Amino acid sequence: MSIEIKNISYTVKDFEILKEVSLKIKKNEIFSLLGPNGSGKSTLLRIVSGDIQPNFGTVKFDDTMLDKISIIDRARIRSVMSQSQEIIYDFSVKEVIEMGWLEGKEFVTEKFDNALIKVGDECKISHLFDKSFNQLSGGEKRKVHFARTLIQMYNKDFETKSRYIMLDEPTANLDISHELQLIKILKKKSQEGFGIFIILHDLNLAYHFSDKVAFIKKGKIHALGTPNEVYKEEILSDVYDLDVSFDKTIKKISYY
Amino acid sequence: MSKTFNRFFRYITFKQFTIFNLLTIILIFIIGVGISIGSFEFSVLKYFNNSLTTLEKEVLMNIRFPRVILAAVVGAALSMSGACLQGLFRNPLADPGLIGVSAGAALGAAFSIAMSAEFFPDFLLTPYLLPFSAILGSAFVISILFIITRGFGFEGMTYMLLAGIAINAFAGVGIGILTYISDDAELRGLTFWTMGSFGGVTWTLIIPAIIIILSTIIWTLRISRKLDLLQLGESEAYRLGVDIKKLRFDIIMSSAIIVGISVSLTGMIGFVGLVVPHLVRLFGGVNHHYLLPCSALTGAILMVSSDLLSRILIQPAELPVGLITSAIGSPFFLWLIFRMRNK
Repeated sequence: MSIEIKNISYTVKDFEILKEVSLKIKKNEIFSLLGPNGSGKSTLLRIVSGDIQPNFGTVKFDDTMLDKISIIDRARIRSVMSQSQEIIYDFSVKEVIEMGWLEGKEFVTEKFDNALIKVGDECKISHLFDKSFNQLSGGEKRKVHFARTLIQMYNKDFETKSRYIMLDEPTANLDISHELQLIKILKKKSQEGFGIFIILHDLNLAYHFSDKVAFIKKGKIHALGTPNEVYKEEILSDVYDLDVSFDKTIKKISYY
Repeated sequence: MSKTFNRFFRYITFKQFTIFNLLTIILIFIIGVGISIGSFEFSVLKYFNNSLTTLEKEVLMNIRFPRVILAAVVGAALSMSGACLQGLFRNPLADPGLIGVSAGAALGAAFSIAMSAEFFPDFLLTPYLLPFSAILGSAFVISILFIITRGFGFEGMTYMLLAGIAINAFAGVGIGILTYISDDAELRGLTFWTMGSFGGVTWTLIIPAIIIILSTIIWTLRISRKLDLLQLGESEAYRLGVDIKKLRFDIIMSSAIIVGISVSLTGMIGFVGLVVPHLVRLFGGVNHHYLLPCSALTGAILMVSSDLLSRILIQPAELPVGLITSAIGSPFFLWLIFRMRNK
């Protein structure tokens, strides 16, 4: 049960954004993608989620080619949290979360209500439900979108082999305590059976919570493996063109 | 159908449902007022004990009733289209008039009036040529707008309004040229049509229009959920399983059809599509399961009332109804811009 990405290349106007990227995102795992700005992380996530088609290479979800999966079925096996978060009209928080809820053949009110209570507890946002989304702070908006991304995977009406949650820098705008809270929820979700594919910037956070890490630089996979395998000073320094030191005893990265 | 119905109740709150019912009652009431009042005075209640004279019956059934019904349907159509376009463009200033869709329809209609004699012989379908070319005109303008504004994200607002100004000007030129080259009979038709009014409509012309507009409105209600999802952004909606291209096409076509038919029958009536969805959002919320049907109802109420005003303000003469809606709408538009600036 996994997403298999094979030899992905993506070129825009003669500029190679991704070069022969291959990796595997398994269920029950947090797979973190790290790398400098402009290295192609978001593009890779957009290809894996099905927004754009690669020029070469294939993406398979549990042995099915991604382009053979209808967009409705895609919504049932993976949810995506991107960086955009603006909404023009004055929706309530509850309505925004509800947008993530996928309808089965029939809309069963209790199912949605239970999922809403669950996600509200998990993300600790139940007190915001009746507020206007546009009056929230940037961090609160993130959390609401995160809850929407989670609830999209909560309707058990659909039979899927596995489910995946993909997140593009979900911790941007969050203070350290909320950052930790979010990543802990993801850890729990991976233990519940979800596959998590996440773009992160914080090296320490990625080290402590990931099962797999990939470093990407200039569109190429630079290193891939468990955090302990790839967190080496020479690899990190090479990826970021910066002197990065890694204290093995307290397991902390420092670079200044 | 029952699926749509169930969803409707799932997504609206009790308050929104109450508003929906209130609006329905007000609409029925105002239609009643609309057919009771006019420059020719008699008691409509006499209809129920069959004591109307032939003339009174004629006025009621063949003049006032079609007129009031047409006003309601056109008001619903323009408001619905405004609500859909505001949702599609994620832009609160979208309005079929402001962005040039009505002007496109007007140009199409004017073209068919001025050119029909040259290109089409007088055959049976000629009365329907006018609505048809109006639909083509409005569909064309909406497509141009979409090409211009796509990819501009939140800056699309300015681009779209500027494009609307250009399209309105272009349509003005087109109509001007058509007026200039028309012969006397065509000019007469064109002038009467441009002034715009609900007067002088007949059942034969408006029955097909009503059927098409109402069925398009009901058909459009199905896309409420997708329009909600679209508010997250196009790629987000796509990831939630919305076929964006199909949704765009559906909205563009349904708006073109209902605006095209409305404009072809009544001339250009501005600001209704802009004002009504905003009012409805102020009443009770922004989700489209509530917004679309309630906009249609409010639009119908507003249009029947405006038409009533246009008939009674300077009796026995009539004001063009577009004058009244613009008189209400333009200050509202200014207030909207002012409020957005202060946000």
